[in-house]
Amino acid sequence: MATDTLATAAPRTARRVGWGQRLSRWDIKVSPYLYISPFFIVFAVFGAFPLVFNVVVALHDWHRRSGMGDFVGLDNFAWVLRQPLFWRSLENTFSIFLWGGIPQLVLALVIASILDQNLRARTFWRMSVLIPFVVMPVATSMIFGQVYGQFGLLVPNLHDLGLFTEYSSPFFQDRQLSHIAIGSMVIFRWTGYNALIFLAAMQAVPRDLYEAATVDGAGRVRQFFSVTIPGIRPTLIFVILTMTIGGLEIFDEARMFDGGGTGGGTGGADNQWTTVVLYLYNLGFGDWQDRLGQAAAVGWIFAVIILALSLLNILFTRVIASSDSGTKRLPRSLRKASTLRSEAKQSAQATDAVEGDHR
Amino acid sequence: MKLTRRTAKVAAFATISALALTACTGGGGSGGGGGEKATEENKPEQLTVAAWMDFPPELLASFEEEYGIKVAVESFPDGASAQTVLRNGLSSGGAGLSDVHLIELDWWTEMMAAPEDWVELPEVPDRWVDWKVKQGSVDGVMTGYGTDIGPLGVAFNQEMTSAAGVATDPEVFGEFIGGDAATWESFLDAGRAYVATSDNYFIDSLSSAFQAAINLLPAAFEDPESGDPYNIADNAEVKELFMTFADAAADGVSAGIPIGHADWGAGFQNRQWATVVTPAWMTGIIADNADGIEGWRLSSTFPDGGGNWGGSFFSVPSTGENTGWAVKLADYLTSPEAAVQWFHETGQFPSQVDAIASPDIAETENEFYGGQRLGQVYGDLASAAGDSAAGGFRGENFAGIQSLVTDGISLVESGGATPEEAWESVVSDFDALGFETAD
Repeated sequence: MATDTLATAAPRTARRVGWGQRLSRWDIKVSPYLYISPFFIVFAVFGAFPLVFNVVVALHDWHRRSGMGDFVGLDNFAWVLRQPLFWRSLENTFSIFLWGGIPQLVLALVIASILDQNLRARTFWRMSVLIPFVVMPVATSMIFGQVYGQFGLLVPNLHDLGLFTEYSSPFFQDRQLSHIAIGSMVIFRWTGYNALIFLAAMQAVPRDLYEAATVDGAGRVRQFFSVTIPGIRPTLIFVILTMTIGGLEIFDEARMFDGGGTGGGTGGADNQWTTVVLYLYNLGFGDWQDRLGQAAAVGWIFAVIILALSLLNILFTRVIASSDSGTKRLPRSLRKASTLRSEAKQSAQATDAVEGDHR
Repeated sequence: MKLTRRTAKVAAFATISALALTACTGGGGSGGGGGEKATEENKPEQLTVAAWMDFPPELLASFEEEYGIKVAVESFPDGASAQTVLRNGLSSGGAGLSDVHLIELDWWTEMMAAPEDWVELPEVPDRWVDWKVKQGSVDGVMTGYGTDIGPLGVAFNQEMTSAAGVATDPEVFGEFIGGDAATWESFLDAGRAYVATSDNYFIDSLSSAFQAAINLLPAAFEDPESGDPYNIADNAEVKELFMTFADAAADGVSAGIPIGHADWGAGFQNRQWATVVTPAWMTGIIADNADGIEGWRLSSTFPDGGGNWGGSFFSVPSTGENTGWAVKLADYLTSPEAAVQWFHETGQFPSQVDAIASPDIAETENEFYGGQRLGQVYGDLASAAGDSAAGGFRGENFAGIQSLVTDGISLVESGGATPEEAWESVVSDFDALGFETAD
């Protein structure tokens, strides 16, 4: 049989393909897929499957112990949208996001621009801003829970100033104050991380722009707003986008804030700081409600909200980006963009000069 | 934040796929029954037990000596986290469960909703008080060996009450809160009188006192026949009780910081409250948190003749690999001798008849409580409460509705609402859940 195939194959193939060669051809064709497959396998198992399965759960009456119940269509979604607590948790989430996000952005920018200067022991300072990020979020919230507690660092002093007199620690009672407190944990944890991303972008801003600005008599502040900020615009947009998505998913900080309490960390007696993800957790896995179907529905509704927000963000980004033609086409690589820009400028100047000559 | 999303996803996947597995196999497991026999052949090297209190060190050592099996304690910071792990384990076919689990009375009904998850335990005649056996059984089948019970007393700080001029010792304090005829009204009025003359609070939190009062209602939130919750808006008994406590909360009787709150320990250290409603198991916890603070004593007077808060059971999940030996361990851990050792370690009051009678319990003097004999005081409180200490009917939603209602009290304590507003918020929270109610 082997001779048979060889005999028929021989006239057609110009040369014999050895086993080793065939193997190496497969190697070229197949190996790249094998090398990248771990990501896709992990994504399929831990990313895609839960997403799809979540739809199934959301459309059924589903309980922890008994598992899948009756098919209920969109009832779970309707139920969630009727819950005042869902809307309250949505409000809380956005409020905490704003309290944590905006100061975080400003602080990260300021810290990054300081680190961008010629500091002594530069690496040490750059490393040190990342330390809070290494602390586990649960540990962070337990420590901050102490700080905001009745006998923590803050409240007794504020009592002495006569600001709080009503009750023990207003940070565990007042809705707005609890959002500020949780926002501060987000700031603590994420500022350094974002500052380093900003720093990386700032390093890529051409130094000669600063020199030119100095020659033109611009001070540090003016340079920051006129050179640094426009120079890192794509990174700024990237950070705002990831921060929005991440910030809305806040859970650990809110769950651990008052140490759990007797209610078991559900977000305060009046749900002052119940976030959407905490609400989802309470519904599906929390103390007693056992409503996995409804929890899955919350997940989907929230995913749609985040998607819509991200789309808005992208549209917004387009508007900003198109106001500056240099970064429009190549927002990914700032350095390339800026060299392109300076090249364009040079050529424009050159043509100007040439045209001027002609005139 | 990104990490959070990922961990949440992993957790969700684990649970959901586990759920899918259980759904496919239809429960599986050995399905209750007596479990296997403990023999030399199936003897494991190690058994695990999940709990959240300290173990007397000699207890585990002597088990190892007797049977040659090591016991590893999977320790949780509190009951709630032990409950979460147990709940998720049960709904995923026993994944990650220990051989023996400690279960608190407050969430006992929820865990026992599927009795086939648990090994039927052989009866041990005359070990426990009757009502503890009844609590630990489902449909007449024993599924939990009782550990402690939680007879209720009032711990108070003698220095603070005498500084306020209301009580110098436990006797006088008992009279101050109403003596033999003490009711919650007289207790709360005493609180009002106390805060009028003192610049700290009478009690740590009224939500825990309220919980103690609810425990004594025969059927607080649910219909014993059907198990369905009563419509809370029409529940006159609970509303009346709620208003009694909410009014006192509005009068500033309490600090509004219940056990488990981030500020609770600091509150003791800063002498913020003079009394705490204290089940026996809490005495050790108070001694830890109030370490270095003089003057804490235990009153033998309790409103409405006393009651019971908590008390736990050791149960054996039927999905375990070593159910035979696990039953043996649960039996061992709930022997009267073990109960006595536990009393010395943590102050838990035994549910075992022989242990209650043991002079070792009644005659031990507690240093932190000024040499008081706590075992004797709680023994008296337990016998005064009698079988009513077993509490009323608890359905599957008892703990959940209870936390809804106690949240209402916390709301008033924080100054966030008047009692009427708080009750309205409880009612609307309850309505939003959309229960099929019993009436």
